[in-house]
Amino acid sequence: MNASGIKFGLGTYTALFLVFLYGPLVVLAILSFQTGPEGGPQFPIIEWSTYWYKHLFGLTPPSRISPLPINEALFRSMALAVMTMIVSTVLGVSAAQAFRRKFKGSGFVFYLIVLGMMVPGVLVGLGMALVANSFGIDRHWWGTAFVLHVVYTFPFAFLVMLAIFNRFDPSVEEAAWSLGVSPARTFRKITFPLIFPGVLSAMLFAFTLSYDEFSRTLFASGRDLTLPLAIYGTFSVEVHPNVFAFGVLTTLFSFALLGTYAALMTLSVRRAKQMAIQEEA
Amino acid sequence: MAVISYTTPLSVPAARVSRRELWLLAPGVIWMMLFLVLPILMMVYVSFWTQTTFKIEPTLTLKSWATFFTSETYLSALWTTIRIWLTVLVATIVVGYPAALFVGLFVKNKTLSTGLLVLCVIPFWTSFLIRVLAWRPMLGKEGAINMILMKIGIVQHPIEVLLFSELSVIIGMTQIYCVFMVGPIAFMLGRIDPSVIEAAQDLGASFGRIFRTIILPLSMPGVVVGSIFVSVMVLGEFATSAALSGRKVNLLGNIIVTQVGSLKWAFAAVAGVVLTIIMGAVVAALLRVVDLRKEL
Repeated sequence: MNASGIKFGLGTYTALFLVFLYGPLVVLAILSFQTGPEGGPQFPIIEWSTYWYKHLFGLTPPSRISPLPINEALFRSMALAVMTMIVSTVLGVSAAQAFRRKFKGSGFVFYLIVLGMMVPGVLVGLGMALVANSFGIDRHWWGTAFVLHVVYTFPFAFLVMLAIFNRFDPSVEEAAWSLGVSPARTFRKITFPLIFPGVLSAMLFAFTLSYDEFSRTLFASGRDLTLPLAIYGTFSVEVHPNVFAFGVLTTLFSFALLGTYAALMTLSVRRAKQMAIQEEA
Repeated sequence: MAVISYTTPLSVPAARVSRRELWLLAPGVIWMMLFLVLPILMMVYVSFWTQTTFKIEPTLTLKSWATFFTSETYLSALWTTIRIWLTVLVATIVVGYPAALFVGLFVKNKTLSTGLLVLCVIPFWTSFLIRVLAWRPMLGKEGAINMILMKIGIVQHPIEVLLFSELSVIIGMTQIYCVFMVGPIAFMLGRIDPSVIEAAQDLGASFGRIFRTIILPLSMPGVVVGSIFVSVMVLGEFATSAALSGRKVNLLGNIIVTQVGSLKWAFAAVAGVVLTIIMGAVVAALLRVVDLRKEL
């Protein structure tokens, strides 16, 4: 088999594929340093400047280009993501815990939960808006939009926890029970520390998905904008490089989040190892 | 729709739900019933309500459905949705498969292949809407691609069809969704036992032969899982076409957004139900090929 030639070809292709993936983002990052306020969202760069970054924070003299409405929206998106993260992780862990034993109707429950991540946001968003309308419920980001965010992220948390429990050795729990430790205490002291990396991943999933979620939020959030909705609002008007600058900043924020996750993960793995060593000693 | 493919495990007879499981499951199940199933049922119900210019009444009628299936706009949106979905689906497979093949099969170093996969996922840490918008300075008349093509001298005049056309929507969606194809395929390829391929090599099989008889069939579950992801996401799309087509490409999702915007709830609901039916059919068909629960 002429594998090396094929390998070289595929390797080159993969490099091109990565260019395809990153190209738009690189262009966007470059153009965010366009001069302002007269510089447009296209090449060439007239002059390099951080004008649009200052513009985001309202540090530039007023111009005809209105600032992105991100202040309040940022707070709302953060709060919504944290609420979603907590609730969907709790729901995910408890549902997955139930799935450790086989029971009748588990297929139905499994697909009911997974359906939450499969149904497109625009459909549940529409359905929720209709429900709210006919029951006379006000639509708010912390109410109708929040429950839909959980519908979306709970399945992810559930699947992550299922995978974790699949590799879980129940004999440690059984040992604790047989020594007369109560189930609640066993969960707190033994089960939870062991599944903690999974819980962390579920939380990361839930937070980032909710933070970026917008098709469910569009119909369900009422008047107040969340961050993605504020960006969506710029679609219908002229795009200025301030959106690009904002994109660069949110990406950096995501990396900070990812970094925190990685640090917590390493910490918990190290602690688990230390515990194992202590037990052996 | 999904229940079709589920088979109860044969080995252990399933126990009845005990009290403990009931308490663990109840919150999640109730949440999904109230905030997922009820809204969808409501959408089906409202699609039969009577829509007048300014309001909607719960008098049941088939009028909205009749309007939908006789209107040029709605039918063309339906056709566009199906056309774009199929095009993007094929494009993500064609674009993604070779990359997945390289990462999943040819990169033997575990760290390197994980690193490459992470590299594919990193763009997802940028907001979805920003990723969509990022295609504008790429594809525009004065965009990066036209600039480069003109500098090299491949074209004399900028290619205008790149932006605000169906092509731009397809390019944008392919880039945004191809990773959902690469991931599952690479995962499946990574699980192939290398000794099977070595055995085929020792017996003198060519790469083409090995690909057709071993690699392709064993990676099919990955293609199907990827197709489910991509299909579900593309069928429910409206933002990419709104941002990149300049309102020229209307998908069913766009129809729903416009109708909700003008408070035509019944028409939005009809479009929603049609979309749900298409999606249900697509996912059910794909799930017949693989059992999702087994592949996880």
